[in-house]
Amino acid sequence: MHISRLLFLHILLILILLSTISIVSAQAPERIISLAPNITEILFAMDMGDEIVGVTSFCDYPDEAKRKTKVGGISNPSLEAVVSLRPDIVVMTTDGNPKEFEERLHSLEIKTYVFRARKLSELPDGIREMGAALGVKQKADALATKIESTINGFTVTHQPSPVTHHRSREKVLFIIWPEPLIVAGPATEIDDAITLLGGDNIASKARTSYPGYSVEEIIRQSPDVIFIGKGHKDMKEMSGGLLKKIASVPAVKNGHVFFLSDSLYRLGPRVVSGIEEMAAYLR
Amino acid sequence: MKLSLLMAISFLIFMIALFTGPNMISPFHMNDVQKEILLSIRLPRVVVAALMGAALGASGAVLQGILKNPLADPYILGISSGSALAAAFGLLSGYYLFGKFTIPLSAFAGAAIVSILVGAFGWKRGRLLPERLLLAGVGLSFLFYAVLMLLISISSYEGIRRAVLWIFGDLSIADWSLIPYGLFFIAAGLFISIARAKALNALMLGDELAHSIGFSVHKERLLLFISVALMTSASVSLGGTIGFIGLLIPHIMRFMIGADNKLLIPVSAVCGGAFLCIADLIGRSVMPPMEIPSGIITAIIGSPYFLYLLRKRDVLGE
Repeated sequence: MHISRLLFLHILLILILLSTISIVSAQAPERIISLAPNITEILFAMDMGDEIVGVTSFCDYPDEAKRKTKVGGISNPSLEAVVSLRPDIVVMTTDGNPKEFEERLHSLEIKTYVFRARKLSELPDGIREMGAALGVKQKADALATKIESTINGFTVTHQPSPVTHHRSREKVLFIIWPEPLIVAGPATEIDDAITLLGGDNIASKARTSYPGYSVEEIIRQSPDVIFIGKGHKDMKEMSGGLLKKIASVPAVKNGHVFFLSDSLYRLGPRVVSGIEEMAAYLR
Repeated sequence: MKLSLLMAISFLIFMIALFTGPNMISPFHMNDVQKEILLSIRLPRVVVAALMGAALGASGAVLQGILKNPLADPYILGISSGSALAAAFGLLSGYYLFGKFTIPLSAFAGAAIVSILVGAFGWKRGRLLPERLLLAGVGLSFLFYAVLMLLISISSYEGIRRAVLWIFGDLSIADWSLIPYGLFFIAAGLFISIARAKALNALMLGDELAHSIGFSVHKERLLLFISVALMTSASVSLGGTIGFIGLLIPHIMRFMIGADNKLLIPVSAVCGGAFLCIADLIGRSVMPPMEIPSGIITAIIGSPYFLYLLRKRDVLGE
């Protein structure tokens, strides 16, 4: 009885703590740890690179990020490494960082800020909110506005006009990795970008964000355009076998297979160039 | 002599695990950050490792006895896969119900339910039959792993992948909050099993012989099974599933100090705890800040040593 009441109080206390934690003072922190590559990129884009004292081992952009102290992976950062850097705030994401880690940090009285944007359309406001919490409101506003105007620019030019309305939208497939076949599915920046540019992601009805896909399904859906993202190997060489197998689909037959960078892989400032890059290949 | 040496080594390991790691901490002069790391991160972590290892070592010794099978370990009964599956459901449900206790609670519930289920399948004509227990465990284990893998491959929630990490043991965010509960169940299990060690000795000689020297075979087997369920469930909820300790430590200890369970169970507990402390120390030190799950380390250092013993000595006592 006593223990369960204690447990209840404990939980209540955590809930109260949690509700207050998001209201971080607007004073600019001097020692920031980023626990996700896209957050690292956003921080650098807001000129906060000097304040970053720790990043994950996946944070490789911009180049300066590679020289920052590493605190472990995204799903398994090292608590000891984080604490020993004495951060003023740890910036986390809902996309990959374990919730237990956040709570463990709170129990050690380390402030956190959780970046909650998961979609392209949520990115500008996500950046604004984060900038306000980190005391760099103006820089965040500027960055967010730049991203917003890119998105809005394409919304106007790329939506099917009434005249071409009868024409069906281009069917698009974005391949992340050819063998085994992994593609960009729903709830990804890539899917959002394809939709924004007036395309129709054929994998958008998959159950997971980066589903394993079947070659048969590609042939059945016959995409008009295939994008292949940048990986850590030569993707042209890697995807040769797959493209041979699906040689009959319109995208391959008409030579509409394009190799893109990895700009759209992270919900950060580089989505702007990622969208522009993709737009060049969609009608 | 051998015994006190083992104890001394275990204590030494405990201390080494506390003060070394990716960054050494000198026990004599610490700054504030180091003090915080030592007290709020390392100490609970080492305590959790010691508790889990102790629970696994002791329950391995007990299980090998009651199942009369040298290959038995706490996880062969499906307890690990069942609790991993329950933890995955806990991850899926979010954290609304029990806050940060969601995962440990669901893992504990899963382990407890599986223990009861295995017990029920192994129960026939008013008694627990070792072969049935074992087969029920293997069968359920396959089922739960399959469902877990299905869940992981079709779930759109990325956090579910953490369940995979958890299958190999995850001590990285151990803190004080769970330790009292874990300690309670593990101490209870240890108490029961050590108290009934004499009966276990008799059981290993065969049911008829045990009966003839005055033990109620079925009652003893049930009691010992309950002690295993308590210890394993608590261990799993503290930090996931860690293989090999439950299988190897009792064998190694049997080789060192003999097969008397009165001694074997406590010694397996202490050495199991020390072994997991080492494994965790290695896991967090070899390529910091990346951490290698302790379950992988226990298997990598444990199995070659076991194979060596198997070749060199007659550990199975045949």
